[in-house]
Amino acid sequence: MEVSRIRALRGPNLWSRHTTIEAIVQCTAAECSILNLAGFETRLRARFPEIDDFQSCGNDLLIPIAHVLELAALGLQAHAGCPVTFSQTAKTTTDGIYQVVVEYTEEKVGELAFELAQTLCQSALDDTPFDLAAALHQLRELDEDIRLGPSTGSIVHAAEAQGIPYRRLTSGSMVQFGWGSKQRRILAAESDRTSAVAEAIAQDKVLTNMLLDAAGVPVPRGRAVLNADDAWAAAEEIGLPVVVKPQDGNQGKGVTVNVTNHEQLLAGYAAAFAVSNEVMVERYLPGHDYRLLVVGNQLVAAARRDPPHVIGDGKHTIRQLVEIVNSDPRRGEGHATSLTKIRFDDIALTRLALQNFSADSIPEKGVRVVLRNNANLSTGGTATDVTDDVHPEVAARAIEAARMVGLDICGVDVVCESVLKPLEQQSGGVVEVNAAPGLRMHLQPSFGKGRAVGEAIISTMFSKDENGRIPLVAVAGTNGKTTTVRLISHLITTNGLRVGMTNSDGVYIEGRRIDTGDCSGPKSARNVLMHPNVDAAVLETARGGLLREGLAFDRCDVAVVTNMGAGDHLGLNYISTVEDLAVLKRVIVENVTPKRGIAVLNAEDPIVADMASSCPGTVTFFANDARHPVMRTHQARGLRVVYVDKDAIAIAEGKFKHRFPLADIPLTQNGAIGFQIENAMASIAAAWALNIEPAIIQKGLANFINDAATAPGRFNQFSYHGATLIADYGHNPDAIIALVKAVKNLPAKRRLVVISGAGDRRDQDIRQQTEILGDAFDEVILYQDQCQRGRADGEVLDLLRQGLRGAKQVKNTQEITGEFLAIDTALAQVKAGDVCLILIDQVDEALAHIAQRVAAG
Amino acid sequence: MKKTYDLNFLKILPLRGPNIWTYRPALEVWVDIGELEDAPSNKLPGFYERLSAWLPSLIEHHCGVGEHGGFLKRVREGTWAGHILEHVTLELQNLAGMQSGFGKARETSTRGVYKVVMRSRNEHVSRACLAVARDLILAAIHDTAFDVTGNILRLRDMADSLCIGPSTACIVNAADDRNIPAIRLNDGNLMQLGYGARQHRIWTAETDQTSAIAETICGDKDLTKTLLQSCGLPIPEGCVVEDVAAVWDAAQDIGLPVVIKPLDGNHGRGVSTNLSKEADVIAAFKLASAEGSEVLVERFIAGNEHRLLVVAGKVVAAARGESAFVIGDGISDLHQLIESQLNSDPRRGVTEEFPLNIITLEEDHHTVLFEIERQGYTPTSIPAAGVSVLIQRNGNVAFDVTDLVHPDVAADAALAARIVGLDIAGIDLVAENISKPLAEQGGAIVEVNAGPGLLMHLNSADGSPRPVGDAIVASLFNDGDDGRIPIVGVSGTHGCNEVAHIISVLVQLSGLRCGLACADGHYLGRRQVETGDRATWTGGHKLLLNPAVDVAVIQSKPQGILHEGLPYDRSQVAVLTHLDQTFTLPDYYVATPDQLFNVLRTVVDVVLASGVAVLNADDEKIADMAPLCDGSVIFFGLKAEQAILAEHRAKGGRAVFVQGQQVILANGSEETALIVLSAIPQIEQIGTEHLIAAVAAVAAAWALNISNDVIRAGIETLTLER
Repeated sequence: MEVSRIRALRGPNLWSRHTTIEAIVQCTAAECSILNLAGFETRLRARFPEIDDFQSCGNDLLIPIAHVLELAALGLQAHAGCPVTFSQTAKTTTDGIYQVVVEYTEEKVGELAFELAQTLCQSALDDTPFDLAAALHQLRELDEDIRLGPSTGSIVHAAEAQGIPYRRLTSGSMVQFGWGSKQRRILAAESDRTSAVAEAIAQDKVLTNMLLDAAGVPVPRGRAVLNADDAWAAAEEIGLPVVVKPQDGNQGKGVTVNVTNHEQLLAGYAAAFAVSNEVMVERYLPGHDYRLLVVGNQLVAAARRDPPHVIGDGKHTIRQLVEIVNSDPRRGEGHATSLTKIRFDDIALTRLALQNFSADSIPEKGVRVVLRNNANLSTGGTATDVTDDVHPEVAARAIEAARMVGLDICGVDVVCESVLKPLEQQSGGVVEVNAAPGLRMHLQPSFGKGRAVGEAIISTMFSKDENGRIPLVAVAGTNGKTTTVRLISHLITTNGLRVGMTNSDGVYIEGRRIDTGDCSGPKSARNVLMHPNVDAAVLETARGGLLREGLAFDRCDVAVVTNMGAGDHLGLNYISTVEDLAVLKRVIVENVTPKRGIAVLNAEDPIVADMASSCPGTVTFFANDARHPVMRTHQARGLRVVYVDKDAIAIAEGKFKHRFPLADIPLTQNGAIGFQIENAMASIAAAWALNIEPAIIQKGLANFINDAATAPGRFNQFSYHGATLIADYGHNPDAIIALVKAVKNLPAKRRLVVISGAGDRRDQDIRQQTEILGDAFDEVILYQDQCQRGRADGEVLDLLRQGLRGAKQVKNTQEITGEFLAIDTALAQVKAGDVCLILIDQVDEALAHIAQRVAAG
Repeated sequence: MKKTYDLNFLKILPLRGPNIWTYRPALEVWVDIGELEDAPSNKLPGFYERLSAWLPSLIEHHCGVGEHGGFLKRVREGTWAGHILEHVTLELQNLAGMQSGFGKARETSTRGVYKVVMRSRNEHVSRACLAVARDLILAAIHDTAFDVTGNILRLRDMADSLCIGPSTACIVNAADDRNIPAIRLNDGNLMQLGYGARQHRIWTAETDQTSAIAETICGDKDLTKTLLQSCGLPIPEGCVVEDVAAVWDAAQDIGLPVVIKPLDGNHGRGVSTNLSKEADVIAAFKLASAEGSEVLVERFIAGNEHRLLVVAGKVVAAARGESAFVIGDGISDLHQLIESQLNSDPRRGVTEEFPLNIITLEEDHHTVLFEIERQGYTPTSIPAAGVSVLIQRNGNVAFDVTDLVHPDVAADAALAARIVGLDIAGIDLVAENISKPLAEQGGAIVEVNAGPGLLMHLNSADGSPRPVGDAIVASLFNDGDDGRIPIVGVSGTHGCNEVAHIISVLVQLSGLRCGLACADGHYLGRRQVETGDRATWTGGHKLLLNPAVDVAVIQSKPQGILHEGLPYDRSQVAVLTHLDQTFTLPDYYVATPDQLFNVLRTVVDVVLASGVAVLNADDEKIADMAPLCDGSVIFFGLKAEQAILAEHRAKGGRAVFVQGQQVILANGSEETALIVLSAIPQIEQIGTEHLIAAVAAVAAAWALNISNDVIRAGIETLTLER
């Protein structure tokens, strides 16, 4: 068993909508059925008894070890607490090679699980030990370490429930919601609207105290002190008991409460001074600690927080009592559980000493022994939900406190006897306000109900009907993708939105190219969705990225599949038939928004038309011929169709019909260029799917420019010595068929073609290119370039020549080495009235060369 | 024996708002000059000479004489110590860097006791200046030694540490230019601009709109670079290289030339730049890794450092850093060359008012040392004549280039700020020429800074300050928004508390959140937050801080105005009830109705030009205040037949009065009967003083544009018991 390649598919993919690990697993002949491996299953189940039942893959009823690996990787994750359920093992065309896919929630955890699964299988093969508990512990630790913490997680889950897409920006708690110009960010319980100035104010307790007082919020009287003597003076002014605390501390560090005498005050001052140079003394308010969570202008949760404590039973020592409390399975080490273990450290011992106890004292039955002054969950405190008990006047004061400091998400610490009564009636007060408050105590209080605080935070960032998405159009197909993507972008731009576009030339934001090269993969798509100035995205979705990583988005509003054709990179990545390729390109159709999403499909391409059954939304079909059976039945059902209606492109739905005259779509050259008509139909359908008005579409079609500058290598026309030159990056049989059709529609005395073949295609596909040309052109100039992509010198030329055998029209064939030389050769031969198609390879260089020759005259 | 004089401060009043002297905060001191009353300055031998020698800049004080040197002329001819104290204190404030012009010295009814008042931008600094002024004057009188320079330096340090910083000051001044009030909230640079519900806060170059998360992103340089790059902005691409074998490959992948530096180095130690050859790259790696941290290989960006300040999506200022070179003369060492060719520049200095720093080769200025070491020099090397030595690659970013920034570069900087999420950002970028797009020259954005310093744009080396404060204020307040909430100031010798309460009720009925500070407490809406006298500076001030206050009704008592000044700078409405001619405040030397008039008029003086003074026409003294108001006047009264009402209405003025059984709103000759007296409950119990309070409140509500229906409903449902 050998794992030759592991990929993380981070979005919807060929296999499922889940994030998954995909591995290529090569099994020996024996490993193709575990029945050949005596005792393997028994040994395996002994090591991992919880692994699922095996199921054969394929019709041969055999269970390959690859499948065992799959179930082990899934099972290990599931038993480590990850919510995963999906896995699959698929045979490939090569015997013994399987594709194994296993869902993950955290990529690193998935990868580790896959490694551990291999170790497990190997140990069962070799009959060596496997420490299941250690493996699960390792997975659990890693998962806890990297997955979102409970506070952030609660907000993210609330967003997901509202259909808001999210993306983690760091390995920590920073998360982006939504796309493009609709994006928002959080960092744990901070939003991107949380003011830095407000946070700085909340850090300064003296300033906060002054501001809250000005806002009419009850606060303990107090002041900053200069030194220990001044602290005592302040305590006497204010009146004992007092609290001594650092002016800018947090999480209760250095705070001493209920200071009643000079000695305690000096100790408290020292503790506070150890944390901050600036110390304040303030009136001690008797009562409980409450945390009120204010989000927006609402009180969304409240908890009473009790410090860690034990109750004496007259038998056990305090140390033993703490152990007993900590043995509660709800008490964990970190933030993952609703309670944390009580820390029995120096701070606890100091606190005990204040109560005249030691670790080995045995308190009498019923005596409450407090182990810490602060009630933070992280040091073993408990939280009791009291949200429903908060008196409206108390809630109002908390909201006023948050507003005064300027925090949109704010934890207000209140000390009072009871939240059932107004603070003013019980000498209660607000002692602190906190930015980025912890949410765990409200999500999973130790006692009482959990509160929907994530939902509350999301509701301040997105209204109920918002999901942070921008219109997203995905385009796949074999030919015409780039022009279609550009035209759709142009139509959306004409409608007044700022468009981000990816295609095989680059990434474009508002028409400006920000990245070059083939950008039809998920990384470029993600970049567009990250860009803050993008109101709509049009993304060419090529197979490579889809295979490598899956989609960059969870769903799209419109999925356009132009055509499937044949021969485009078949043979790579276990994709050997057009049907396999269709499965891949169908992924965007499978992931249109349920119900509201629209797939735009070519009705005349049977494989594309079949994708309709995979679409969870609705379908718009387009075709040259409205009488095509798929079109007729679709239209008869009152559904959307786009077709050529004599001298116009028509869109129709039920009784609605609108015509766009071809004469007003310069791209089609008055309808002469068939493949551009198809591109225009797909684009019109996509724009219509986005509810763009016909008048706007009309306007956009009319002023869409398609030349060498805007669409390099896409049917770029030049005039040279009275002849028409057409430069195109046609590189597969279907593209060439379309080009031939278009060239045939152009009147010409003589037709010439300059062509080469890319070495990484299949022989039959290279040969087929020239077969198609043979019947249309009079003169053929074949060329080969330096870069033969792994083929021997002359091999490609030979294939091209084979394709020309028996060509009816061709009168003359020449063979040239070098693209520029081939172009020059053609230019030397063209005469007025000729049409010369130049199939260029190095797009930018060749276009520049042609332009220069044309300019030189 | 030489006579010994003294200046005895009887009382020091920090006037924290508009007061009887001036619209601005001031320090008032009551000084008993004792026997100096008999010894004006011309009778004190040598005093003039010593004073003018110690503080020669006193020549700038025009004083009452109204000409250059006016004050010193008065000293020469003879003036009294109180007056001298005023000018010396003012001058010490100036020398401490706390510019202030206004001052006054007035006799009181007690012989030898003067009230001296000086404009004060900071109470602590003014108090210190006052104390030094006293000592200085006495030393000049008695001809004893006085350390003038030392004291001025101490005051200057004090002002530097206690006053708001220059960046903050530029924002506050810009706000002031737009008539937006400012309140300092702490001892640092936290300022509130605007009042109540209309306020914004700034903390130097951060605002209440500055996102905390955006600041966190800025603090994470890798994350910032990743985000910028994903949106297509050029950054210095780079990677951490583990060992020397990989460094050349990494450099080639990134693209030559490269910079190699320790990942967490500082002061440029171990940094090598502009490397293109394998041998150099490897040597540089060894140098950097010797610093003990990981080694970073980055694309070398040729050019100068620039700082672009982005405010609300626009570049509002840009500055360029400059490399400093010296040219050898074959004689001087680098120390000397730096002194003679660089530090001699008058723009170089140690404090922040100098746009350029002094360059030193001391041990603690490693950057310069490393720079010359890289070139094979030590501080004592003597470069050959004509040889240029780079001293500082990126010196002070202090040369204004705002007008040269290419629009694409400006757009890139604005986008960088937007990506990070900052409303105010300092974008650091490196480029050869800021007038060309970055892509054309391989320039890059190297850092995004939150809370950027503004000083380099205010105090540039080439002397063209940019209005960055204006831009920041404009980002917080739309055109025409002065950040003010309507403030209703209520004052008089009596009857104010009741008027203030009724106004508060009418404001609340109109749907606004009203804050009330008056003689019986502090109220927010209907809730009494505090009891006791809150018709004080502190009481009023609290309302202005509260973002939940849409309208503030603030009562001020005469003694409060004298003691602390008003808590607000300007108001929308001033309501003056009564001036009881028998009322005196002997403790404040207020004994006559005219003196009292001068106290109460302060409330009318601060009415905005768009505001209204609501004056009691039945009180002669109060009615006399009408001409003092910058805005318009509404008279109120119980006697419709008052001549003053007729006169005012004849000029198109507004008035509210009782005529027969009705309360009438009159606008010029037009009359609206608002309320029939019999509709007011408990009318039988209401005496005239209550009725006049209601009428005053009606007038104030009218001044606030509260609708007649609301006013009528409010008055008709009024309950007077509380």
